Amino acid sequence: MIEILDPTTEAATQTIAFAPRPSGLTGKRVALIENTKFNSDRLLERIGDILKAEHGVAEWKMYRKHNASVPAHAEIIEEVKQSADVMVAGVGD
Amino acid sequence: MTATLTSKRFSARDDADAVDMAFDRGWSDGLPIVPPTEARVRAMLEGAKLDPSRQIGFVRDRAVSITAEKVAINAVMAGCRPEYLPVVVAAVEGIADPRWSYHGPGTSTGGAAVLMIVNGPIARELDINAGDNLFGPGWRANLTIGRAVRLVMRNVCGSLPGLLDRGTLGHPGKLSYVIAENEAESPWTPLHVERGFRPEQSAVTVIASDGPHQFYNQLSPTAEGVLTTCADDMRISGNVMGQSTYVVCLAGEHMETIARDGWDKKRMRQFLFEHTHNSHAHLKRTGRMAGEVAPGDDTRMRSLVASPDDILVVAAGGRAGAFSCYIPGWGSAKNSQAVTKEIKR
Repeated sequence: MIEILDPTTEAATQTIAFAPRPSGLTGKRVALIENTKFNSDRLLERIGDILKAEHGVAEWKMYRKHNASVPAHAEIIEEVKQSADVMVAGVGD
Repeated sequence: MTATLTSKRFSARDDADAVDMAFDRGWSDGLPIVPPTEARVRAMLEGAKLDPSRQIGFVRDRAVSITAEKVAINAVMAGCRPEYLPVVVAAVEGIADPRWSYHGPGTSTGGAAVLMIVNGPIARELDINAGDNLFGPGWRANLTIGRAVRLVMRNVCGSLPGLLDRGTLGHPGKLSYVIAENEAESPWTPLHVERGFRPEQSAVTVIASDGPHQFYNQLSPTAEGVLTTCADDMRISGNVMGQSTYVVCLAGEHMETIARDGWDKKRMRQFLFEHTHNSHAHLKRTGRMAGEVAPGDDTRMRSLVASPDDILVVAAGGRAGAFSCYIPGWGSAKNSQAVTKEIKR
């Protein structure tokens, strides 16, 4: 018999606090996180408009990341925390 | 070194059973691995005099810490000799550097590999190939160092094909993509010296890259002639609109021709930059730039890269044959930058 070592990451256990999920979208403020890819702004605009027209969302505002490869930068996250209740973010190709 | 190795352990009947276990558990890139026993992993760590708990890199976007122990385990599996480990470690430091921006090139449908260019004395000491059959096969150091980095990406950072590695096509360089610069015969300033290191230091430069594109010019006796062919081939390649980083590898015959004319790397970069512009009209007609062709678009030009400095020139490749190559970078220079790290021993 031989013994070999696990080459993969064994994740350390940690607890992450999530913001409570709202029970509905009526009157909520939505942040749309745009990843700079071609047409991503148009897709998100449409999503924002549908959320307003069909789900009672109060308003939406779009935020643009520096580029598609990086997470939203600190300024965006800080502003969204202050000014939005719900966020739509996604990556598409 | 007596520090404890903390990785989980698995029992196998013998080496052959361990090889199968690595396939079954999804630890392999598709080729058999060398089973990472404790003795082999300890010998590997000794190659770089590393404590197993030392953090080699932290990939911010994945919240992943890459320890020396995991790098050593994957280097054993890749078939590295212990003395290769410092190169693997420096390359891992490079891809974990925020400027390389791991999540983009590691995940993108664009299918980038990690091109690793080794400079300095270690390249010759470890027999990292800079000549014939530059991109392989045939050299253990070239094939196993790059493989080790890819296995770290797979097993530690989660870059699994189809999951967090979404390359549409990928390319063979994603198995291993390591070259050295031919400093022994090159008339030019080595890449690492251009990037701030001393000639006697060893360094590795990591670049998120497409595959090598070979070009052929057997006719021109001048630098301008050879580089005109190169520029003409390069002009429409890779993510033309992205303005990424390019690597140009000049092999023996072209190196001699260009050197005879007295051109240095700076002059080559400037020439290639100036001769790889595309008109907006062409980019629009060929589905690369959005929008309809407008008046003036035939003379409105866009450069292939944002700056001549985004073209990295290295002397590498066999002595015989009127071939050289260029390698388009992934995405854009804004999304992922070439990073050079010192190889410490």
